Amino acid sequence: MLTLSCPSCGANVNFQSKVSVFAVCSYCKASLVRQGMDLDKIGEVAELVDDLTPIQIGTTGMYKGQKFEVVGRMKLGYDDGYWNEWFTYFADEKIGWLAEAQGFYAVCFPCFDMVPPVGSFHPGKAVDFGRYGIYEVDDVRKVKCLFSEGELPFNALQGRKSESIDLSGFEDEMATIEIAEKENRVFLGSYVDFDDLQFKNLRPIDGW
Amino acid sequence: MAGKDEAGNNEASNNEASNNDVPKKEPKPAKPLAKMFACTACGASVTINYPGASMSVVCKSCNSTIDVTSEAYRILSTYVGKTSLFKPDIPLGSRGKLKGKEWEVIGFLVREETGSHYFWSEYLLFNPYYGYRWLVEDKGYWNFVTTIKRKPEAKTFTQVPSKGVVAKLDGKSYQIYNYGTAAVKYVLGEFYWRVVVGSSVLAADYIDPPMMLSAEKDGFEIVWSLAEYMDAKEIHKAFKVADRFPFQSGVPATRPPTELKELSQIGALCAIFCIFLTCAQFYFTAKAPQQTVLQYDGTFSPNNKKADITTPVFAMKDDTTNAVITLRAPVSNSWFYVSGELVNDADGTTYPFEKSVEYYFGTDSDGSWSEGSDTAQLGVSSVPPGNYYLNIDTESGDFRQSNAQQFSVTVGRGYPIYDNYWWILSALFVVPLYSFVAMQSVEAARWSNSDYSPYPSAESYSESY
Repeated sequence: MLTLSCPSCGANVNFQSKVSVFAVCSYCKASLVRQGMDLDKIGEVAELVDDLTPIQIGTTGMYKGQKFEVVGRMKLGYDDGYWNEWFTYFADEKIGWLAEAQGFYAVCFPCFDMVPPVGSFHPGKAVDFGRYGIYEVDDVRKVKCLFSEGELPFNALQGRKSESIDLSGFEDEMATIEIAEKENRVFLGSYVDFDDLQFKNLRPIDGW
Repeated sequence: MAGKDEAGNNEASNNEASNNDVPKKEPKPAKPLAKMFACTACGASVTINYPGASMSVVCKSCNSTIDVTSEAYRILSTYVGKTSLFKPDIPLGSRGKLKGKEWEVIGFLVREETGSHYFWSEYLLFNPYYGYRWLVEDKGYWNFVTTIKRKPEAKTFTQVPSKGVVAKLDGKSYQIYNYGTAAVKYVLGEFYWRVVVGSSVLAADYIDPPMMLSAEKDGFEIVWSLAEYMDAKEIHKAFKVADRFPFQSGVPATRPPTELKELSQIGALCAIFCIFLTCAQFYFTAKAPQQTVLQYDGTFSPNNKKADITTPVFAMKDDTTNAVITLRAPVSNSWFYVSGELVNDADGTTYPFEKSVEYYFGTDSDGSWSEGSDTAQLGVSSVPPGNYYLNIDTESGDFRQSNAQQFSVTVGRGYPIYDNYWWILSALFVVPLYSFVAMQSVEAARWSNSDYSPYPSAESYSESY
């Protein structure tokens, strides 16, 4: 783990993963970009007003027998709602994402050995992921980053725009195509039951 | 965490997880969630219990639905009725444990099928860790509903489903039960989407009792859910409901198929017993010490009576067992009748019997026909060993000939008897038959609310009329 100091307030800013290039200072909410050992402040993150989620930075869980820790988050909003993409750091230094919305949880990983499919997407469309199988588009959403915290592998500034296409495959398999300003990426994973993730250090929720 | 003590015990897991990697911090106390604001339509105070999760809330005073995703509190729909027509049977805010987890009732919907104006109630359940579930009440019967992400195999909305269409999920087949448009008629509480009174979705239900697979399609997406029948008493108890639940009527789509299960159990039991009985019958047949103790040949003249024939005395040895009397006569479009008695030579005990043989044949518009046979057999049960003889009278009828003819009477002992076997066997079939009829009537009632019933209904009779 790399620990640097916030150029704005001097507090410690931790980077668990080598791929993280962006962080939000947990004390002064400065959004910081890392280049090597240097941190530059590029903005500030405004607090979230209504934020009801059972996950927080530091929550740990298990996925397919491997322990992971939540180290960052991006909250994404679209016309009809929002969801959280929690950046997760696995015991073997692999990174992944825990998507969380309305009690549904999915763990997925960036897929580097596939050229992201291009073209127009609409719900119900079948997309061929080659050796990963055929996936069906569930929804296509124009999204905006509403909030970010912890460490992240790209500049997740508030207001960052992208298009997110959710797909489902065989049984519990899921995929996401992210079309961002600079690059398109594919994530593959699966939906997981809350209990199977064996979470620890969850966020306390009033009355529950 | 793992299920058993879900949400409540966060403090403990909090401390446990703060291991050496994470700098020790005081666990942040949970912030109070509920927020209040003034209704944009009527000004009354509106409480939202789960901001950040709920996207819309219904004003208790004016029944307007309000968007709570921005401070503008935009009105999504207003309610025309002045009085509240519907009252939830489980009060909003109630908490109860179902399927091992705690749920809070946060929303209440009445929906109706737009074609038939058939309506039912839906309760939105929430747990901040596990998300949302539904309790759906229809004619006093309840289903517990979970939204699913995996996709069943079905061609639901590419064409209107026809009778017998199935959807497949996890290796199970679900039969089409209902297809139509469901509209929101009435709302209370808060919801994870922007609820609008009057909005509608295209819906299809497929059943495999006690489960039901449902699809709902709006302009953007198709959402699948899996419902499971739940006992009303269990829900009533879980939420500690004070008032009585709605009266139950009819047979719900997801009623557990107990009759079907019973039938298969009874069927299996009967089959086992049949096999056992048949084996026993074969065993006794093979073991039976069949012997002929009397072979008597006599003559008769058709259309005449002949009385008081006495046979020679014959011995019946060993145990008390049955005696089988076989009568044979060359009847051909005629009949031959014997009445008589088996008499114990020593003590005069008599066993009366009567039997006839008849055989007719001919041709009519349907072709040739025949009935009867030239042989008949009867059993006399429990005949003790000893010496016996027969006294017999004969009668006969024949239109075509009057020549003297020969008949024979044979007495056998220790013959295998099939009568009891057949009787028990047929009695045995009554039970599964009854159970089958009961099952059919329940299944017909189950499908009586469906346009896809495999059972004939009063409606389809009148249609074909």
